[in-house]
Amino acid sequence: MRVIRACRLLGIKSVAIHSDVDAGSLHVRFADEAVCIGPADASKSYLNIPQIIAAAEITGADAIHPGYGFLSENAKFAEVCKKCRLSFIGPTPDAMRLWGDKVSSRAVAKTYGLPLLPGTGVLADAKDAVEQATAVGFPVILKASGGGGGRGMRIVRQVEDVARAYEAASHEAMTGFKNPDVYLERFIEEPKHIEFQVLADQHGGVWTLGERECSLQRRHQKVMEESPSPSINEDQRARLGEVIRRAVLETGYTTLGTLEFLMDEHGNLYFMEMNTRVQVEHPVTEMVTGVDLVEQQIRAAAGEKLSLPDTRPWSFRGHAIECRINAEDPRSFAPWPGLITEYHPPGGGGVRVDSGVYGGWRVPSCYDALIAKVITHGQTRAEAIAKMRCALDEFIIGGIRTNIPLHQALLRDPEVLSGRMSTRTIERLVAKGF
Amino acid sequence: MNLDLNDLRQLLRILEKRNVSEFEFEDDKTRLRLVRGGVVSAAPAHFAVAAAPVAVAAAAAPAALVDDAGTVYVTSPFVGTFYRSPSPDAPPFVEPGSSIREGQALCIVEAMKLMNEIEADCAGTIVEILAENGKSVEFGQKLFKVRKA
Repeated sequence: MRVIRACRLLGIKSVAIHSDVDAGSLHVRFADEAVCIGPADASKSYLNIPQIIAAAEITGADAIHPGYGFLSENAKFAEVCKKCRLSFIGPTPDAMRLWGDKVSSRAVAKTYGLPLLPGTGVLADAKDAVEQATAVGFPVILKASGGGGGRGMRIVRQVEDVARAYEAASHEAMTGFKNPDVYLERFIEEPKHIEFQVLADQHGGVWTLGERECSLQRRHQKVMEESPSPSINEDQRARLGEVIRRAVLETGYTTLGTLEFLMDEHGNLYFMEMNTRVQVEHPVTEMVTGVDLVEQQIRAAAGEKLSLPDTRPWSFRGHAIECRINAEDPRSFAPWPGLITEYHPPGGGGVRVDSGVYGGWRVPSCYDALIAKVITHGQTRAEAIAKMRCALDEFIIGGIRTNIPLHQALLRDPEVLSGRMSTRTIERLVAKGF
Repeated sequence: MNLDLNDLRQLLRILEKRNVSEFEFEDDKTRLRLVRGGVVSAAPAHFAVAAAPVAVAAAAAPAALVDDAGTVYVTSPFVGTFYRSPSPDAPPFVEPGSSIREGQALCIVEAMKLMNEIEADCAGTIVEILAENGKSVEFGQKLFKVRKA
């Protein structure tokens, strides 16, 4: 729907591709045309490149907007679009590969002076581990090179424990992945997740549009986001913005992108990775910058020279918060698909709802639980929070369970109210109960 | 229906063998829903039991849909252009009334210059041709109505 909206404003016709179970989706109903491309199983539909290209072919489409998830960060798909003379609304395959790969993006970040989390290569032995851990600075986390999921991981807070932890991690890695290689990096106990938005056209125009804080997460899924971050000051924003701008410009990255950072307890930022697509939480940036990101993304992909002013830093207005509404039980997080019997979204000044659902629509069980986003904007953070509490109270979604009660609890949590939240805040709130 | 673990295991085996992707059962004591996973990965499909109360009746979408007794539909497994003949000058693969055998080519759905022959799932007679020659078809669109032999 978000993309269709932007297309309509630009006078561009849209074709909605969908799986068979999504035939009743909102985007299918509002697009100018729709093509069913496969069954519910995403590998046969939303990830099925030949079917997607065929749909573009039979409808005479000129461009493909990959959205987020699925093929949006798939360089092979971007290449296929290019070969079929379809415009892929995103960066070039090369820029996507350069920034999308964790290892190469870290190398690029290093070249341009973006701060990186102190870390090492594969450790030679326990003695090497002790030396390198001391050099990196405690606390550190030992990780297996051959795999993840918590195996071969040990957090070490003091030098006396390094050798033993190294042996344990290496042994666990060997039994788990047949690969005893272990490396280490600085461990952040209470990280904040802060990401910076960039927009670039194909004519050398690059804009850094501030940051978003997305610390409120559960199992690495974002739940609530805001802009600006209560922990970033103007000076930091301006300086980091300039470094990012140069890196993006000189590597030829175009359209939209987001650079993700972790912030430690001392306010230091460390670059982690870049998302080479539009993000779910883009609306909070739109609210504080006044820029329609999807519109600009489409224009940039079409080869237009964007006519945005070159003010640096960008002038930001007020504060915005976004709550992701999921079809799930708010306490057990069990997915709650089913028929939405009534649907009444909130309204009022500074309240925006981006949603793909409606009353009478059945939430399918096979996809993501996200069904709507509520975004509020106020002159201050307190005002945005107050508006969000009211908006969530007004939001009526009957027939299924949603995580609205979780959001209401977060908007009353002292960590959130003070701006001191970290990626562990939600786990604490859930443990306490609400 | 009272299911113990062994019953469930047997049920899963049957469903997997028959290539069923979703199964739902409900009586006044039990509600059971099994959905085959494996969205992105290439790993073998497995079943996840969902305890949440759900009443979704999603179609498993095989190539044939069953209508009244003995009639099936052949649907398109591809997005593309429907052609009734192997080439512009050749006669059509089938006409209404043609008898067909299992595996026989019925039409072509062309996508990106690739001519995909669509084969019959069963032996029978063509009752009706439901798509127009040279027109676009989408996944799941009905192409032929067939009376099974």
